[in-house]
Amino acid sequence: MTRRVAIVGIAQTRLETEKPDQILDEVIFEAASKALADAGIGREEVDSITIAAADQIDGRPISSMLEACPAGAYLKDEIKTTEEGSYAAILASLRIMSGVFDSALVVSWSKCSEVPVTRVSNYGAEPFFHRPFGLNYITTTGFMVNAYRAKYGLPEMAAAKVVVKNRGNALNNPLACYQTPVSTEEVLSSRIVAWPVRAMDMAPLCDGACALVLASEERARGMVQPPVWIQGMGWATETYYLGERDLSRLTSLEVAARRAYAMAGVTNPLRELDVAEIHDIADYHELMAYEALGLCPWGQAARLMEEGVTEMGGRLPVNPSGGALSGSPFFATGLVRLAEAALQVRGDAGRRQVKGAKRALAHGSYGFCGQGNSVFILGE
Amino acid sequence: MAEELVFIPGRWDITYNYAAGKVSSKFFAELRDNKRLMGIKCSRCGRVMMPPRGFCERCFAPAGEWVEVGPEGTIQAFTITVEKFEGNPDPPFAVAYVQLDGADTAMLNYVRGLDFSDLNRAAESLRVGTRVRVVYKEQRAGEVTDFEYELV
Repeated sequence: MTRRVAIVGIAQTRLETEKPDQILDEVIFEAASKALADAGIGREEVDSITIAAADQIDGRPISSMLEACPAGAYLKDEIKTTEEGSYAAILASLRIMSGVFDSALVVSWSKCSEVPVTRVSNYGAEPFFHRPFGLNYITTTGFMVNAYRAKYGLPEMAAAKVVVKNRGNALNNPLACYQTPVSTEEVLSSRIVAWPVRAMDMAPLCDGACALVLASEERARGMVQPPVWIQGMGWATETYYLGERDLSRLTSLEVAARRAYAMAGVTNPLRELDVAEIHDIADYHELMAYEALGLCPWGQAARLMEEGVTEMGGRLPVNPSGGALSGSPFFATGLVRLAEAALQVRGDAGRRQVKGAKRALAHGSYGFCGQGNSVFILGE
Repeated sequence: MAEELVFIPGRWDITYNYAAGKVSSKFFAELRDNKRLMGIKCSRCGRVMMPPRGFCERCFAPAGEWVEVGPEGTIQAFTITVEKFEGNPDPPFAVAYVQLDGADTAMLNYVRGLDFSDLNRAAESLRVGTRVRVVYKEQRAGEVTDFEYELV
């Protein structure tokens, strides 16, 4: 039996369109130091540092050379993941489960205001067969939505309702980047960027950082915050080659969820979960995630949305925080989802709290068309 | 008085020279010299991969026999990029993943000859399942953009 891991410290910076008053190091320091303060411990009491960042967004190769110490790593253990923020939490958890470490500071960030992220994303296209075709995280979303549309029809109205739901939820989240409501009419009349994907279908990028403190069961005992247990984790990666994939479904998310559910003993997610934070790269992506997470049958996500199941007050509220659609610090977005899910279980989510939430799901995603996905199940 | 905030511009300017390797090099040479699109078969499951690769990720086995594919195929996914993104061609332009006849995976390229004056109509003409054919460019440099698709 592996050791249990708890989340004992949670912090995020305010998400903002830009943070010109802070250099990246200071944004990272802010999140990391606030997470330690939330956990009620000092930097000297943490024995491992796990970070997640994208060099091209940070604007320096091997950005950990510069950013490890702002994340708390001075003369300590430090290791970096380069998939996505939630993967730092996976690695940190595994390191604690191994028994080598007893505690971890997990930090992820992005300052998207400093670089055209679509350009960075285009350089992620393999150079021989993919790069000349203008691929980025937005245009590839167009492929995914068209593949979904071919199978089930285009859930345009349901997608717009996802944006309205999430942006409405963000009114209760003082950390969200966009705290103004939108209407389905606004979403459906926003300009098309990659047919049929509209500007407001995509999560708007922003600046921010997120940090968590994790601890083993023994270490968590007696800490100031009630532990939020990681009951299950799963993650999986699909092929990079989109022409080999069934783009109408998020297959690696389905696999990741199955693993996380098995570990946590979840058999009926819609009934057994109280709240979910989904990495909504686009509104359509949130709908497709409902299906891959087993919240509804394939092709039924629009109906789930239309029935209000995932609204606040519904059977399973999704993204009470407002989700990425209310501001996405690109690489850190999955870790923000995990932080928000943990706040819900701890009962510390303020006005966005789902009453009595005991069990939460958090989802992280990276790559074109959701190539890789992680799923966490958290509980009291 | 408001404090002044300084911004320092930066730029990565690094030249790469990506080796295409034997498999892709053969594909590009066949495309340039013989106007042929060659896929490659997994030595274990037998699926024909387009673009060709040295191995099959699923079987984790090396690729074997070369197979000519096309010249027609079926659209599996597409999008029309309408927004101008830095480094991209000027919009609008359409790209599609096409499963060429004889291949088991789909290959990306531009779809030419479309009328974008009515975007929805253009998208309708690219509906998943639509048949397209390969058109070779007059001047070929041995790269993937030596060919493109057009509606049949």
